[in-house]
Amino acid sequence: MKALVSAVALVLCTALLAIAQERPAPLASDLDRAQAAFKAGRHTEALALARRAADAAPTSVRALNARAGMAEFMGEFDEARTFHDRAGALAPDDPDTIDRTASFAVRMGEYDRALAQLDRLLALHPRHVRWLFQWAPTSLQAPLLRDHPSLERIVQIKLDILTEKGDLDQARRMARAYAIVQPGQNYCDQARERSRAGAERDEIFKAFRLATLGQPDAADCIWWYGQWLSDEGYVRLGRLMVIEGTRVTPSAANKEGGARYVRIRLGGNREVPKRAEQLFLIARQRYLRDGDVDGAARLFDESIRLAPAFARPYNYRALIAADLGDREGALAWLQRALQADPDSWRTHRNLGRLFETLERYPEAEMHLRRTVQLFGDDAGGRLALARVLYAQGKYDDFAKEARAAVAFLANWRAPVPEVRDFLAKFDRWGPGAALPPAPDPHVIMGWNYD
Amino acid sequence: MTDRIAVVLLLSVALALAPATIYAGTYHWVDEQGTVTYSDRPPQPEQTRAPAPEASPAPEVKAPDAKPDTSPAPEVKAPDTKPAPEAKAPDVRPALGAKSRDVKAFAPPAAIAKTGPTKVDELLELSGARTQLVGLLSGIAGQLRPARGQMSAKDQAAVDRILRQALRHEAVYTLVRDAFLLQVDRTNLEATAAWLRSPLARKIVALEIASSEPGTEQKVAAYAAAIKTNPPPEHRVELLQRLDWATAASEISADLAAAVSRGITTAVSAAGPAEQRLRPGQIEDRVAQVRAQASEVLREPHGAATLYTYRELEDDELTAYVLFSGSEAGRWYNTAMRKAMVNALGKAVEQTAAELVRAVPLDRWARAATPAPQQVK
Repeated sequence: MKALVSAVALVLCTALLAIAQERPAPLASDLDRAQAAFKAGRHTEALALARRAADAAPTSVRALNARAGMAEFMGEFDEARTFHDRAGALAPDDPDTIDRTASFAVRMGEYDRALAQLDRLLALHPRHVRWLFQWAPTSLQAPLLRDHPSLERIVQIKLDILTEKGDLDQARRMARAYAIVQPGQNYCDQARERSRAGAERDEIFKAFRLATLGQPDAADCIWWYGQWLSDEGYVRLGRLMVIEGTRVTPSAANKEGGARYVRIRLGGNREVPKRAEQLFLIARQRYLRDGDVDGAARLFDESIRLAPAFARPYNYRALIAADLGDREGALAWLQRALQADPDSWRTHRNLGRLFETLERYPEAEMHLRRTVQLFGDDAGGRLALARVLYAQGKYDDFAKEARAAVAFLANWRAPVPEVRDFLAKFDRWGPGAALPPAPDPHVIMGWNYD
Repeated sequence: MTDRIAVVLLLSVALALAPATIYAGTYHWVDEQGTVTYSDRPPQPEQTRAPAPEASPAPEVKAPDAKPDTSPAPEVKAPDTKPAPEAKAPDVRPALGAKSRDVKAFAPPAAIAKTGPTKVDELLELSGARTQLVGLLSGIAGQLRPARGQMSAKDQAAVDRILRQALRHEAVYTLVRDAFLLQVDRTNLEATAAWLRSPLARKIVALEIASSEPGTEQKVAAYAAAIKTNPPPEHRVELLQRLDWATAASEISADLAAAVSRGITTAVSAAGPAEQRLRPGQIEDRVAQVRAQASEVLREPHGAATLYTYRELEDDELTAYVLFSGSEAGRWYNTAMRKAMVNALGKAVEQTAAELVRAVPLDRWARAATPAPQQVK
């Protein structure tokens, strides 16, 4: 009798748990609304709805995963970890949950944890599939990965881990072994072609990633990949790729340029923890894409706390301060950025431009001169310097800098007619009362954003 | 909604700032304390108690003839950067003859004897800036005022009252003067004053004031049409382009449009719901767009208005003006004036717009900005 009661209780508990996990009524509405809000780009609202859904259904794996994913997307990493863990505890064998947890661990730079998750994911496959995945020749891997997409995910995540850890040789061996890259293919040309054809950024990014994995000698493509990553804010991987491209290139000038790039654009050898980098990346999105000033400022601050020598978040805090009308506050943030990294080209540039708007021309000139000294191809910075020189009556210097910028931009098929027109009048009539225009054309990949 | 109102107001104001469309009936009078008042309306009885004969808007004042007189052209040199200690007392004769113009009423810049360091007030008087501010304010007020019938009588009355009060010439002039004072460079100020006291400069200022009179808009339009079939000589056009280069006049127009845009956008945004308010950076982005649009929109009218305004100046007179404007003193004056006007008008417009949206809530402005539905026949 006692056994029967226990058995009934067990069945009831299991049934109730199943019902609780899939209880649709309150869940569907909040979760669906959260996902709809997310798709519509209302990310803050989406996270709030996901939180409500997860609170209302704490045993729903779907709700927990949604909350974890949205919190991760918004840079709320502690919350994301909590809910990834809860989902994992509830559904330890759910491939989707394991995949999400592994990706999150990579984002946090917790590679061992990610690899452990991938092992669990692999263990969910039938024995013969696991055997094929581990031992079958390369020629069998392509169809195997096609038939088992979760295996391809394992490979791709492992490639990312190896690359981020700086073990490019091992990553390349693995990419070849699983037929992610094929011998004899010119991935670099394909990537360039896609870039020229104006393909989606993500597609171009993947193409250059393949080139990096499949063509170890393609210095230009590896370098390009690094610069692209830099622009996107992936400073750690960007730095590794630029260093690799610089190592591979036979050109002494390119080697020098690469070393300079790492120093003035990527903070040299200053360590930036993965979490700080990711916080920065997401904070930038929250600010620029969502207009979420408070949320972004909080994440930038956390990034600064984790990586005090990382100049980029300071620059964004300055941008936010200026956006809120606090120019003195913006100056203070930029000064802090300069203390953190005195060779930050972007910081000097932002300082120069800010001093210019404040009509503090000598200070503006000092920082803009440093800007073009650090990066001579910065035509926008040079035009800003020209304007500041003109404002101080240094007309010969103005003409010299403006002409240099115009000539440089002409080579990049980026004419600046308003500056040409100004120079023509200046040559003809001498100085006028208006300051010269200083447009900021973005012509060189890798130098567009910071 | 906030955006729509701001756009409606801004575009109209930007257009209003085109020099060719500035409307100004310029009156000035002196009250019993000796205070000079400028207005686009004749003095009201309570404003000029027991006006002295010369305190009325003097319709009999002989306006300077725009044509040069027959005396030898004044020898005008571009001042150097030093003050001109030997600057002569200004010629108080009507510089260009006494032929009456067909204008309602306007006064040439008063002749001010130089008896010591020039005051900023004197400079602004001599340059005509003080007088021309009347037209500018009138233009802005005219554009901020909804057309009759678009608002209720009560709202309309409130708007009229606020515009009258907030855009008073003397109040805004004080802002201009205070902002100008921050820019003062004594050497350049004296050199500018010396130039402005010269007969040629007085003639030029008179022409500039005249071009801000009522009716100028139509005259410029007619002139612009006329020069399409009978264009001015190339060298003349170039001279005026050079003048624009030296004075940055068209840039100043665009700056003023931007300042007005900033003032209105700031006030309207602040009056809207908290979640729709714009950050200062967002306002600046919009202002930059308005400035670019204004620059484009104003280019052609500005060119025509310039040709019209100086049409009666000889080439050598225009050249002298260009030379002064291109001198260090000229550049200082134009820069200082630009900053002062932009600063003062921006403040005045923001304050005015804030009062307007406080008195007449945004939704009622929105209704006024919406065209009335057409009657279905």
